[in-house]
Amino acid sequence: MANASGTRLRALSASTRLAFLSFLADPQWVIPSTIAPVVFGFAAFELYRYAGPVLVLEAVLGAAMMSMWGQTLYGSGWATGQDRELGTLEPTLTTPTPYLWVVSGRVIVNAITGLVGGVLVYLVVAAAYRRPLPVEQPLTFAVLFIFVLLTLASVGVVLAAVYVYTRYAGFIQNFGEFAFYIGTGCMFPVILLPFWTNPIALLLPPTWALDALRYATLPGYVGFSWGLYWDIAGAVATTLIYIGIAGTIFRRVEQHVLESGNLGDY
Amino acid sequence: MEPPAIRIQDLTRVYSARKGFLFNEVVRTEALRGVNLEVRRGEIFGLLGPNGAGKTTLTKILATLLLPTSGRAEVLGLDVAKEAYRIRPRIGLVLGGERGLYNRVSGRENLRYFADLYGIELAGRDRRIDDMLQLVGLSDAADRRVEEYSRGMKQKLHLARGLLHDPEILFLDEPTIGLDPKSARETRKFVRSLVAGGVTIFLTSHYMFEAEELCQRIAVLTRGRIVATDTVAALRGLVGGDRTIELEGHDFEDAELDRLRRLPGVSRLLTEEFGPLERITLRVRGLEVDLPRVRSSLPGRPQIEIRERRTSLEDIYLDLVEEEAL
Ligand SMILES: Nc1ncnc2c1ncn2[C@@H]1O[C@H](COP(=O)(O)OP(=O)(O)OP(=O)(O)O)[C@@H](O)[C@H]1O
Ligand SMILES: [Mg+2]
Repeated sequence: MANASGTRLRALSASTRLAFLSFLADPQWVIPSTIAPVVFGFAAFELYRYAGPVLVLEAVLGAAMMSMWGQTLYGSGWATGQDRELGTLEPTLTTPTPYLWVVSGRVIVNAITGLVGGVLVYLVVAAAYRRPLPVEQPLTFAVLFIFVLLTLASVGVVLAAVYVYTRYAGFIQNFGEFAFYIGTGCMFPVILLPFWTNPIALLLPPTWALDALRYATLPGYVGFSWGLYWDIAGAVATTLIYIGIAGTIFRRVEQHVLESGNLGDY
Repeated sequence: MEPPAIRIQDLTRVYSARKGFLFNEVVRTEALRGVNLEVRRGEIFGLLGPNGAGKTTLTKILATLLLPTSGRAEVLGLDVAKEAYRIRPRIGLVLGGERGLYNRVSGRENLRYFADLYGIELAGRDRRIDDMLQLVGLSDAADRRVEEYSRGMKQKLHLARGLLHDPEILFLDEPTIGLDPKSARETRKFVRSLVAGGVTIFLTSHYMFEAEELCQRIAVLTRGRIVATDTVAALRGLVGGDRTIELEGHDFEDAELDRLRRLPGVSRLLTEEFGPLERITLRVRGLEVDLPRVRSSLPGRPQIEIRERRTSLEDIYLDLVEEEAL
C-alpha cells in the first residue's frame, strides 16, 4: 500500500500542514510572530523618527530581518528539537520518507510566518510615520525579500540536521544565534563590522542576500564594494551549495544517529 | 522460497555513551551479545526478558532505527543495515508509551500526517484512517487533541499508526506496559485478532503470561543473550515433573540455605525479599522430598510457612533469567 517514491511531495505538504496546525495550537509561537515584529517596528520608529526616511527604512529592515531570522531559522531547528522532545523523531524515521522532506515542510511554514512578520514591521512603521517609506528598487526588493527567506531557510535546514544529530543542538543554537544575528547583517550592515568577521559571514547565504536587499532598498547604500549584482550572485551560489549539502548532511546524520542510537534522547 | 519474516545471525550491539562534564568518559554497554533467531511469516513471536535485557535494542535494530555493531539481521529478506528504505514501508513499529505523538493536534491529524509520510494512496487515505480508528476503538475521540487522551487511548493511537500502511510485520515493544488490566486485556485480544489478517507480529514483554497467552513461539533474552527459543508447548514440557516448594520466613542463614540446597532432587534455590519477609523457592525433581522433610531440615523454625504449588511457565522463565545472571 505504501509507496516510497511517491511520498516526497505528500510528505512535504503533510509536514507543512502539521506545522501550521501546531503553530495555531501553540500561543507560544503566535506571540513572537505577530507581537514581536510590532514591538520591533515601534522601537525602530522611535529611535529613528527624526533621522529621515532612509534611516527609518534601514531600521525597519533591521527589525524585519530579526523577525524573519527568528522565525525561519530558529523555528526550523526548534521543530526538530521538538520532535526529539515529543519522541516523534523515531516514528518519523521509521516511515519511508527522508526526514529532509519533513523539515522542508516546516521551513515553508516558518518562512511564511517570517514573511508576515517582516511585512508587519513595515506596515506598523509606515502607519506610525504617516507616510510611505520609499523603497529604492521595489521590484528587486520584492524578489530579494523572498530570496532572503530562502537563504535563511537553507541555514535553518542545516541547523535542523544538527538537531537530529544531537540533543545538544539547542545549546549550539543559543550560543550561535546572537553571533549569527550580527554576523550576517540582520541587525546592521556587515560592512560596519571588523574586517576579519566578513570572510566567516560570507560563508552564510543570508549575508549576501541581506546586503543585496539593502542595496535595493536604501538610496545611497554602500555595502560590499562589489555591489548589488555580485551580492545576488554570491547569495545564489551559497544557497545552492547549502541546499546541495543539506541532502548529503541529512543522509550522513541519519547514518550517524542509527549508529550512535541517540534518536530517543531528549 | 519466501524468506522468513526475520532472520538474525550473531547480532551484537554496543552502545558507547559519553559521560562526565566534558563528555570525556566513554561508557560501553553491550546490549546484545550474539543473538540468533528466526521468525516465520504469520506467527506471533514473543521476545521475553527482564529490564535491560536488550529487547528494545533488538526491536529497534529490526525496525531500522538502530544499526547492528556486528552480525546480520534480515527483515523480509532485506538487510536492515543496507536496505532500510525498502524495509520501512513494509513494517510497522509501536514503541508505545506516553511519548511519540503530536500532542497539540487531534488523533486523526496524527494519523493523517503519518499516512502521508507513508505515502498511502490519497483516494483511500481518509477511509483507511476511519477504519483504523474504528478498529482500535478511538472513533469517538478522533477529533480531540492527543494531550487530552488517557494512557490507554494513546496506546490505541500508537497501534492505529503502526497498522495504517498495512505492514507485513508489526513490531510491538511492551504493548501493554502501563495499561490497566482491562485495557491490557483488550490490547492482547486486539493483537491476537490481527494475526487472522496475516500480519506477522514480533512483540516484547516481561510478562510470561502475556507471551504465553499470545505467542506461538517465545525467545527468552537476558543480558543480551537468547537463553531459550521454543514453542510455548515445548517450554511447558520443560516444566515436566518439576515441583515447586515455597518457604516464607525471616533472616534465613547461609547454613540453612545450604542444607535446603543439598536435599535430594533440589535443582534450584531462589531467594526473594518482600520487605522484611524472605521467600525461598525450591525447584524439586522427583517425589523424595516432601513438605515434612523440608520442615525437618530447618529445626528451630516451627513458625515457618511452607507450601507446594504447580511449577508455572513463569517459574521456568525466572529460572532461565536467573541462571544467566549467576
Ligand atoms: N541509547 C542508549 N545508550 C546507551 N545505553 C543504552 C541505550 N539504550 C539502551 N542502553 C542499554 O542497553 C541495555 C539494553 O537496553 P534495552 O532498552 O534494549 O533493554 P530492554 O530489554 O528493552 O529493557 P526494558 O525492559 O527496561 O525496556 C541496557 O543496559 C541499557 O542501559
Ligand atoms: Mg525496552
